[in-house]
Amino acid sequence: MTDAHPLVARYLARLDAGLQALPAPDRAEVVGEIRNHIAEATSSGQPVDKVLASLGSAEDLARGYAVELLLNRPPAVSPGMSRVRRFLALTGLIAIGSIPTFVVIVVLGAIGVSFIAAGLAVFVAGIAASAEWLPGYVTMDVEPWVAILIGPIMGMLGGAALVGLVAYVRFMARLVRRVVPKFRGSEVPGFTAP
Amino acid sequence: MTLPAIADWTSQLRRGVLELCILQLLRRDPSYGYEIVTRLEALGPLAAGENTVYPLLRRLKTERLLDTFMQESPAGPPRQYYRLTADGKRRLTTLEKEWDAMVNAVARATRIGVES
Repeated sequence: MTDAHPLVARYLARLDAGLQALPAPDRAEVVGEIRNHIAEATSSGQPVDKVLASLGSAEDLARGYAVELLLNRPPAVSPGMSRVRRFLALTGLIAIGSIPTFVVIVVLGAIGVSFIAAGLAVFVAGIAASAEWLPGYVTMDVEPWVAILIGPIMGMLGGAALVGLVAYVRFMARLVRRVVPKFRGSEVPGFTAP
Repeated sequence: MTLPAIADWTSQLRRGVLELCILQLLRRDPSYGYEIVTRLEALGPLAAGENTVYPLLRRLKTERLLDTFMQESPAGPPRQYYRLTADGKRRLTTLEKEWDAMVNAVARATRIGVES
C-alpha cells in the first residue's frame, strides 16, 4: 500500500478532511482514486514527493472537487424544495400515469397476444381446409383462401399492438427517468466552497 | 492586458475545452485516471493539472456522461476505468459541433479583421 508512506497517508487524510461536505461513499471513492493515482505514478518510477507536488496541495484538490461539483450540480438536485418537488412530481406522474398505463398495457397486450394466436389459428385452419385435412365434423363458413388471407392480417394487427405496447412502455420509462434523474451519490447537500 | 488576466483567460478557455478532450480521449477505449492525466499532459497548451482533471472526471461521472468499472492492473491495485455512456457519446457529438462552429467563427472574424 502506498499509504505506508507517511507523506501519502498525511496527504490523503488532508484530502479526506477537505471533502467533509461530500457524502461518505463519494468521499471514499475520491480518496481511493487519488490513492490509485499516487500508486500508479510512483510505480512508474517517480519519487513520492514529486508526485504529491504535481497533485498540488490537498486543500486545493479538495477545493477543485468542491468547485466542480458545486458549480455544475444538476439543477434538480439543488437543496431545499427540490427534493419535495421531485417527490410530488413523481407521485403525480404515477397517479396520472398508472391507470391509463394499466389499461393500455392490458388492452394492447390482450389484443396483441390474442390476435396473433387467432390469426395463426385461422391461417392454419385455412391451409388445412384447402388441403382437405379437416375432419368431417368441422365445417368452415368461409372459403379457405379467405382464411389464409385474413389469418396473417390478424397476426399483423396483433404484432402492431405489441409494437405499440413496447413503444408506450419506453415512453413512460423515459418520462419517469426525466423526473428521477441523477439521484445517486452525487449530491452535495449544503456544500459550501471552502 | 496584464499577464494574470491572460492566464485567467487561458485557464477558462482550457476548462471548457478540457471536457471535450476527455470525451474524445475516451471515444473508443476506456481508460483510467492516471493514463488520462498523462495523455492530457502530453498535449502541451492543454496540459491541465491533476487537480483539474480528477474533479472534472468526477463531475462527468455524476452527470452520467461517463461511467466506471474496475479492472485488475498487471501490478498494483485494481484500476478504475472510465468509459463513455450513451449520454456521453451524444454530448461528445454536440460539443464537437459547437467546437467546429466556434473555430469557424474565430477564423471568419480573423479574416474580417485582416481584410478591413
